[in-house]
Amino acid sequence: MSCGDDNPAATPTPCEDVQGDGRWMSMHNRFVSDSKGKEPEVLFVGDSLVQLLHEFEVWRKLFSPLHTLNFGIGGDATQHVLWRLINGEVDHICPKVVVLWVGTNNHGHTPEQICGGIMAIINVINQRLPQAHILVLGLLPRGKSPNPLRDRNARVNTLVQAELAPLSFASFLDVDPGFVQPDGSILHQDLYDYLHLTPQAYQRVCRPLHARVKALLEAHAP
Amino acid sequence: MSEEENPAAEPLPVQDVQGDGRWMSQHNRFVQECKDAEPDVLFVGDSMVQLMQQYEVWRELYSPLHALNFGIGGDTTCNLLWRLQNGELENIRPRVVVLWVGTNNHEHTAEQVAGGIVAIVQLLHSRLPKAKIVVLGLLPRGEFPNPLREKNSAVNNYLRASLPRLGPVQFLDVGGGFVHSDGTISCRDMFDFLHLTASGYGVIATPLHELLLQLLEETPQERRASLV
Ligand SMILES: [Ca+2]
Repeated sequence: MSCGDDNPAATPTPCEDVQGDGRWMSMHNRFVSDSKGKEPEVLFVGDSLVQLLHEFEVWRKLFSPLHTLNFGIGGDATQHVLWRLINGEVDHICPKVVVLWVGTNNHGHTPEQICGGIMAIINVINQRLPQAHILVLGLLPRGKSPNPLRDRNARVNTLVQAELAPLSFASFLDVDPGFVQPDGSILHQDLYDYLHLTPQAYQRVCRPLHARVKALLEAHAP
Repeated sequence: MSEEENPAAEPLPVQDVQGDGRWMSQHNRFVQECKDAEPDVLFVGDSMVQLMQQYEVWRELYSPLHALNFGIGGDTTCNLLWRLQNGELENIRPRVVVLWVGTNNHEHTAEQVAGGIVAIVQLLHSRLPKAKIVVLGLLPRGEFPNPLREKNSAVNNYLRASLPRLGPVQFLDVGGGFVHSDGTISCRDMFDFLHLTASGYGVIATPLHELLLQLLEETPQERRASLV
């Protein structure tokens, strides 16, 4: 299954405001209005791994100069990003590169469903921004010790890579510089809560990412 | 309200619903850090504490004070209470403890949340009788006025009223500058209208750092020999 109505990961879903402060919709609305005045060359979209990148120095050093917008929301799963993208976040922009990083929050979904969710997002982006190249970042390992979510994320990566191979407008990038140590553990110096990246870890992830985005921008030039 | 009937004052470990054991891994790391370090200042709390360590301000202002950071994202008063009762206060004798928790207690009333914070202060007093305690006020949240802002502000009012009776504990409300005159909070201060940006942490850094310096000056260093 790559997508379809029976896949919850591929069904556009707004985040329910269970806490009662409306923050998710505030962020979505801000992204929509942010997109209006700007002419970004690059768009990052995804979950907290995208969102937190914006808060660290490496963003200002490497990505701000490329005219990049960051539409990351902590906790988002594929179905939430899908909803945001079909509800205004890419209506007013035409970036040349879209970096997509989402899926590690799809709890309760199978790797096949998560892959279907990612492919559904890629379809939406390709329909709305046919000129953009979509760069899908691989899901990172998580948890201090080996655990089922690491296996799940690795399986998602394998599935997504296979789906992307025949597509000319999208590609896959594994940005894991080797966070899993020889003994199977992950260091808090890299993933401070065994999920989110420290500023130092973002630097390691962003060097190859920045090089790839720049190459895609250059290839895009007429 | 007695502690027994307050659900926000019940110690409770986080259930590993996601299945990667991250909460317990972090707790175990903190317990281990207690064995290896001799902090003068201990920060305990939720993501507001945890995220602070990822910004430059931690290295600039707090690391030099010999500070440890035991923050875990998403923690409620119940989760923090459990951690502190299960090893995170063993083998250390910080002179000042900074406590910042409560904004994640979604199932509890303002009065219950304040009671949970008071219970943590009482636990800190009994385990670290010589330590001074700083309780940070809950910040406003959400882009626009909403019930959680009112709740957090009510928690702060309860704390203002009840903490002075508990001895060497200071309440510090650092939330004053975040709500603009039109009632909005800026994403330049709170990137998701809850968590602070680097410059948001800059806003609270000066009053907090000055208070810590003052408290450390007032509290003589204990002889390390007594710890061994
Ligand atoms: Ca020690």
